[in-house]
Amino acid sequence: GNAPHVCSPTAIRSEEARMRNMAGKAGRQSRPRKADKDEEEKPLQAVLVADSFNRRFFPITKDQPRALLPLANVSMIDYTLEFLTSTGVQETFVFCCWMASKIKEHLQKSKWCRPTSPNVVHVITSDLYRSLGDVLRDVDAKALVRSDFLLVYGDVVSNIDVSQALQEHKQRRSMDKNVSVMTMIFKESPPGHKTRCEDDDIIVAMDGKSKRILHYQRAQALKKLHFPMNIFHSGSDEFEIRFDLLDCHISICSPQVAELFTDNFDYQTKNDFVRGLLVNEEILGNQIHMHVTRDGYGARVSNLLMYDTVSSDTIRRWIYPITPEANFADQEGQSCTHSRHNVYREPGVSLGHGSQMEENVLIGRNTVIGANCTISNTVIGANCVIGDNVTLDRAYIWNRVHIADNVKVKQSVICDNVEVKHGVVLSEQCVLAYNVVVGPDITLPEGTVLSMHHPDEEDDEDEDEFLSDDNDVGYSKDKTKQKVFNPAEVGSEGKGYRWKSSSLDDTEEDELAECIWGLALSADPESDSESEVSEGSHDLGSHPASPELDDVKVFQNEVHGTLQRGLDENISCDNLVLEINSLKYAYNISLKEVMQILMRVVLEFPFQQQGAQISTAQYSSHLLPLLKKWAPVFKNYVKRPQDQLDCLASMEEVFLECETHWAALVKVLMSMYQLEILEEEGIMHWFNQGSTTDKSQQLRRNQGLLKFIKWLQEAEESSEGDE
Amino acid sequence: MELQAVLMAAGGGSRMMDLTYNTPKPLLPVGNRPLIWYPLNLLERVGFEEVIVITTKEVQKALSTDQRLKTDVKMRLDVVCIQEEADMGTADALRHIQQKIKTDILVVSCDLITDVALHEVVDLFRAHNATLSMLMSKVHEFTETVPGQKGKKKAGEQRDFVGVDVTGKRLLFMANEADLEEGLVLRKSIMRKHPRMLIKTGLLDAHLYCLKRSVVDFLVHNNTSKDEALLQLARERSCWNDHRGDMSEAYHGGKLRCYVHIMEEGMCYRVNTLAAYIEANRVVPKLFEDPPIHPSAVVSERSLVGSDSIIGPSCQISDKTSIKRSNVGTSSIIKEKVKITNSIIMNGVTIEEGCNIQGSVICNNAMIGRGADMKYCLVGSGQRIEPEGENAAVQRSAGYTTRTRTHTLHFCSSAVFVLNPAFCVCVYVCTLTPMSAFSFV
Repeated sequence: GNAPHVCSPTAIRSEEARMRNMAGKAGRQSRPRKADKDEEEKPLQAVLVADSFNRRFFPITKDQPRALLPLANVSMIDYTLEFLTSTGVQETFVFCCWMASKIKEHLQKSKWCRPTSPNVVHVITSDLYRSLGDVLRDVDAKALVRSDFLLVYGDVVSNIDVSQALQEHKQRRSMDKNVSVMTMIFKESPPGHKTRCEDDDIIVAMDGKSKRILHYQRAQALKKLHFPMNIFHSGSDEFEIRFDLLDCHISICSPQVAELFTDNFDYQTKNDFVRGLLVNEEILGNQIHMHVTRDGYGARVSNLLMYDTVSSDTIRRWIYPITPEANFADQEGQSCTHSRHNVYREPGVSLGHGSQMEENVLIGRNTVIGANCTISNTVIGANCVIGDNVTLDRAYIWNRVHIADNVKVKQSVICDNVEVKHGVVLSEQCVLAYNVVVGPDITLPEGTVLSMHHPDEEDDEDEDEFLSDDNDVGYSKDKTKQKVFNPAEVGSEGKGYRWKSSSLDDTEEDELAECIWGLALSADPESDSESEVSEGSHDLGSHPASPELDDVKVFQNEVHGTLQRGLDENISCDNLVLEINSLKYAYNISLKEVMQILMRVVLEFPFQQQGAQISTAQYSSHLLPLLKKWAPVFKNYVKRPQDQLDCLASMEEVFLECETHWAALVKVLMSMYQLEILEEEGIMHWFNQGSTTDKSQQLRRNQGLLKFIKWLQEAEESSEGDE
Repeated sequence: MELQAVLMAAGGGSRMMDLTYNTPKPLLPVGNRPLIWYPLNLLERVGFEEVIVITTKEVQKALSTDQRLKTDVKMRLDVVCIQEEADMGTADALRHIQQKIKTDILVVSCDLITDVALHEVVDLFRAHNATLSMLMSKVHEFTETVPGQKGKKKAGEQRDFVGVDVTGKRLLFMANEADLEEGLVLRKSIMRKHPRMLIKTGLLDAHLYCLKRSVVDFLVHNNTSKDEALLQLARERSCWNDHRGDMSEAYHGGKLRCYVHIMEEGMCYRVNTLAAYIEANRVVPKLFEDPPIHPSAVVSERSLVGSDSIIGPSCQISDKTSIKRSNVGTSSIIKEKVKITNSIIMNGVTIEEGCNIQGSVICNNAMIGRGADMKYCLVGSGQRIEPEGENAAVQRSAGYTTRTRTHTLHFCSSAVFVLNPAFCVCVYVCTLTPMSAFSFV
């Protein structure tokens, strides 16, 4: 491996120079306390982690590290450094892992490495960092920090003045020696606020007076929030539970934090650290406090939804004084003009006849826009060419992008060098990663992610680390290296592969595979809360009779596993029956349940293999061969008329859950009828049974189903006639 | 008529049995007035002309005979009697009088002594068209030593958790620590509506509620629940807005809304424990404008009555007696050379000469024999403490058997078996066992 090595681009300056630097600043930040002068004399340091240690931004970050992605035409890391510098940081350690050389190169060219920079930037790179924990352990090992320091990620955009929080932090530490090790900075943003995204919801319980954090939890997947009683035993009589906070991912840490990471080598993320400290508070005696800002702006670009929000906040000037026209990164040719309705133009922009920039638009230098375009809430990078009659809304277009005529883009991200041919429509939340070509005349559905990298190639590259999705391994074998562009996905002249959005139900570890856009749009919070209210007092009974017992669940998984294995290893149906029977005894499952679960597992099998998004046609083409293959298994369980009814009821239940595939129901019925698993009497009986819910009535009114029933009736009548 | 007042005065006072076993709680003297006078006065001050009093036969009788109540209370009292044994909770009682309730109601408990500006509670009720609004105050730390209580209150005592929204008015959550063993659980939907919840402990529910009429109807229809039903209502997810950041409808469309007014300062006692009783007696007299010594009392000039003491009507205070920080009730007789400090002497008590009484409560019609020396004792009503020597041995043994109990309630019942009730009743000479409170039936 490569050992971490320090590389300070502007050779470390002499101590005197640093002191002089300090003197210059002293006037600006008058600090009242004189008692701990020693503390004050030390320059404020910061640790900037320029790696997210996750793959949220894949496939975009396959080509460019997240910290360098442009946000309103400026790399994100520049925002972070600007924030640090303006809040008084004089020495910053930038830790990089993924694509470290690119970050280093960028910083060397930036204003931060000029001799005049008030903030000395050291870049420390290593391929060995796998988490925030590794970085901080390295900070400790190298003894880089001498005093309290700021800890931020390279994708934090903020204008918060931390000096007050810093003062509070120091005061706490001088009052109670070394008890409080960290002050986390939060921004007040009530639910429903734009910067809220369900992914990053947190719930914090704190002591009302001391602002000490008692409980900290990510609340995304929780319906009920649970607070252990021991947090209320702190001797206070006033506590606050807050759900209106956004974690800015800016923390003031004492050097102990780095030591604690060293001592507890299992701490990987900040979440681990905070939770670990709170749980072990009594043993270790360390506390965490919080500082809430109302006016400041601080947000981490943790997914594309946040990217969208923060970009538009920048353009709407919520992060003043960090605005596009300020050109704080001091890059040549980036100075732009600001005019009414927040329209910003860099030099050399040309706008065709009849084109309108409605509001909140930023256009990079030398970009050419054709005639009759409508552009709103959009950022366009440098050297782009946009054709005629193009509509852009909430589009984030990076550099050197070519967009042909008659293109429509809505809330999407288009990376460098992409070519969008004429007549293409991008629905919400599309991502076109670097160098992709799309079109012509194709409409990309909502949430399409295209990249020049094949989704499977990551397995070869680096499967060791953060996530190895079990699901992936299964089907990557099936379609090995079919590295041909699919015209249905990218258009006839298109280049790129479609990335599937990773499964959302994967909630076991917090930083695992989550989709590139946040979750906020998928779940409508309003309707959610309404339904919760109407469910009201009896939560337990609210779900329809689907068996929720643990054993049943485990059994279901086992059956699934068995069938999967049967498929992979070509096990005979007799043996499958044997295995399922032994499982039945192991989990004490009744015969009726076995059948219902078997039905459910088989019907859901295509989803498990192909993902939940597959079309109805794909679904049935996948399912029918399976039914045929496993017909003997079914026949073993479905014998009496009652069994058929149970089987059908279970089928109905499954289909009620996935409305979109109702069309497949009739095919399933037909095939099972032909395989002689189900008989017409059973089906007729089921069909005529009084259906209780609206939805199941609706299901029965399905055209295909009615036809099938009619056909059955006729067949029956004719066979009766024969007799 | 916007609000009907309902006074709950049928409670048995089960948390201070020593005092209430033969004086009903509403009639316990506090500052030489029956306890029930205080809520009645509170209601009258704000202009109620009529009040429904739910109480027992015994109290009803007293209400019609007590001079003080007759002269002081001008309101029309609509007395509803319920059976003493019925053990009715607030909800049961409301159900009982449902016929009489025509409008929204204001429910007050008879043991509430407060100088709250009542309109604060009512205003909340009106302003938010609330389902319920209630009064709470900071729990008082009782500083006085209480007979029968050993040392300070246990630190691990179970607290009430009250959750309010950021304005401190909207009630979101209420539970006792005892019910929260599993931890505190909140729905996310509530947090979404009230993203900032303050959880306060150390609050006292003053048992003063404004309730919608519909609540009474609700109680009638949900016959099974007792007092709980009220709390249940409070706990229902009843939510409003004040929300910033999103645009949903005011109060988030919620139908139920509970509010609470929390008194930051001022006086608020619920006289339902011995400690509260003693504290209230100490504090309340300072509020009256009446002369501390009733004109009809006969006080010897050669006695010393501190200005922090009050002497009731028709008392006789003899020579060389000193009374400090104490209340002496109606028609009590204090003989010569008696020293009384920090004590409550109820009505018709006789204290023989040479007694030294400190930090004690002497109930109605008790007789304290000559030369008794009591510290932090409680003498039950009608009891006789004989002069020194005669019963000392027995009393001491009683003292030992009962002293181990920390809670006064427990040992009155158990002590009955230890001692022959006819024989002797109370313990004195408590220099040995300075903190005991006895009263035997």
